[in-house]
Amino acid sequence: MLATLFSLSAALPASVSTDNSWINFDVTSLLQNFWPATFDGLTFGAIYALIALGYTLVYGVLNLINFAHSEVFIMGCYGVVFTLTSLGFGPNAPNLSIWAIIFNLILAMLVGMVFSVVTAFVVERVAYRPLRRRGASRLAFLITALGASFSIQYLIFLVRGSNAEPAVTMFIPTPIFQVFGAIIDSQQLTIVIAAIVMMVATDQYIRRTRVGRGIRAVAQDPDTATLMGVNKDRIIVTTFVIGGILAGAAALFYVMKVPSGVIYNGGFVLGIKAFAAAVLGGIGNVRGALLGGLLIGVIGNYGQLLLGDSQWTDVVAFIVLVLVLLIRPSGLLGQTLGRSRA
Amino acid sequence: MTTLLELKDVVVGYGRIEALHGLSFSVEEGEIVSLIGANGAGKTTTMKAISGLLNLSKGSITFDGDDISKVKAHVRVARGISQAPEGRGIFPGMTVLENLDMGTYGRKDRTGVKEDLERVFTLFPRLQERRTQAGGTMSGGEQQMLAIGRALMGRPRLLLLDEPSMGLAPQFIKQIFRIITEINEQGTTILLVEQNANQALARAHRAYVLETGTITHSGTGRELLSDTAIKEAYLGVA
Ligand SMILES: Nc1ncnc2c1ncn2[C@@H]1O[C@H](COP(=O)(O)OP(=O)(O)OP(=O)(O)O)[C@@H](O)[C@H]1O
Ligand SMILES: [Mg+2]
Repeated sequence: MLATLFSLSAALPASVSTDNSWINFDVTSLLQNFWPATFDGLTFGAIYALIALGYTLVYGVLNLINFAHSEVFIMGCYGVVFTLTSLGFGPNAPNLSIWAIIFNLILAMLVGMVFSVVTAFVVERVAYRPLRRRGASRLAFLITALGASFSIQYLIFLVRGSNAEPAVTMFIPTPIFQVFGAIIDSQQLTIVIAAIVMMVATDQYIRRTRVGRGIRAVAQDPDTATLMGVNKDRIIVTTFVIGGILAGAAALFYVMKVPSGVIYNGGFVLGIKAFAAAVLGGIGNVRGALLGGLLIGVIGNYGQLLLGDSQWTDVVAFIVLVLVLLIRPSGLLGQTLGRSRA
Repeated sequence: MTTLLELKDVVVGYGRIEALHGLSFSVEEGEIVSLIGANGAGKTTTMKAISGLLNLSKGSITFDGDDISKVKAHVRVARGISQAPEGRGIFPGMTVLENLDMGTYGRKDRTGVKEDLERVFTLFPRLQERRTQAGGTMSGGEQQMLAIGRALMGRPRLLLLDEPSMGLAPQFIKQIFRIITEINEQGTTILLVEQNANQALARAHRAYVLETGTITHSGTGRELLSDTAIKEAYLGVA
């Protein structure tokens, strides 16, 4: 696969002709497919953004990168797949009315959320809380987070084996309308709209409610928040739970987009991209997670077109991440939840 | 008078370093009690022990007749202990109004909250003028007002003030102390930690002197003001 990307010069003499470039930039392909790639990228980006919120919220209150969040997400995917399979969904799209499908999908999403929330809750209780009680160092938290991530992966491996779950197709995407000659289908529309609604709801929850104020207070100054009567432990659990709910929603959309993508270590790559999205937008920043997610999704797709191979999706996204961080070390929107105005 | 707060043989440490070595003192309902001492004497540690941010390794703290040594910090706030911490602890990303609102976090009585907000705005008109400004952009003196106002929003029975005069200009210090007396006259018991011993003793009903984790002197504010040893050590009078 990589061989098609690299005009391998090994076979050639030392003087390599200039037109035989190392990497071929396929600008034509990018320009021809620009809009479809944009909308498809936004769809993936919406999924990254939902996962990214889980990283960002927990980082906001704990200054901890919860590496196990990728497993919180993949557990949600298992919840979604199990539910849909037992409802009779399989590799081919079901022959159901639209309302029956919507009902089933909502049910699957709720189960996915329960799987994710329970996972997040257990990770917080078993892994992080005991460390907090002992005032452990940041390094101890980091190692624990990685350990939790791998433990859950191998637990899933033990139960489900090394193969991906059989594909579940929810519905066949139908074209809805065209923008700049690109067809927007029902799947893209569902995912992007639902994800944005959820993210706006989360943002408003944090801005307007009492618990939201508690989250912001703990993020800005945990001791003073406690002096105000905020139960810090409960706020921390709440952020894990919110992250779990959003990861469960992301799980439904991911399975919708990639029906056969549920595998024990399948959270890893998505988790890394979502984490990159959170950092790109400004870790700890709710709106930044949305922006970062959408950008990572879109840029990845452009990179794939430009360089002609899906392996490059990730690389290009990370190159952009590094460039952004060089210019703005705190991410595009900075750390809103923690420091500046929220 | 009834005893509102009582510390008995309180020992608190940071890891293996002991900061308070068996501290005992009390605050009666309705009093202003000042705790004075040099840098590193253990004043802030005492405040944190009372509010529950630090655990006791020995001794007990009684509030309103109940042993609260094992009660969680956020529950102590609901019981009626509010603190304006050292360094003020303003939430930088929240507006003045949101900061004040944080003081009511554990409260459910909306009408009472409204009354208290008016009371705070009467005590500190500046806060009302600046209510939409971000807490982090307020001046030091304004932040101190905000910290005290925010603590009052919890409608505390006991108000803990940790160095309210720190970093303030002389005329501002006078104003803050005048307001502290006013708050006390409105019925709130106050425990005041200060390095500005002159003002703290003049305003206090009773006072304690803390030296490296132990109480060395106690008496009425007036008594301590005229004590020669204290004059030399804390009042800058030779
Ligand atoms: N987090 C900590 N870890 C270790 N030692 C600490 C910690 N906080 C305070 N100490 C130590 O405990 C002792 C008492 O500190 P404390 O902050 O209570 O003093 P203070 O009387 O409030 O002083 P100041 O007037 O400077 O505020 C000091 O020796 C200090 O170094
Ligand atoms: Mg101090």
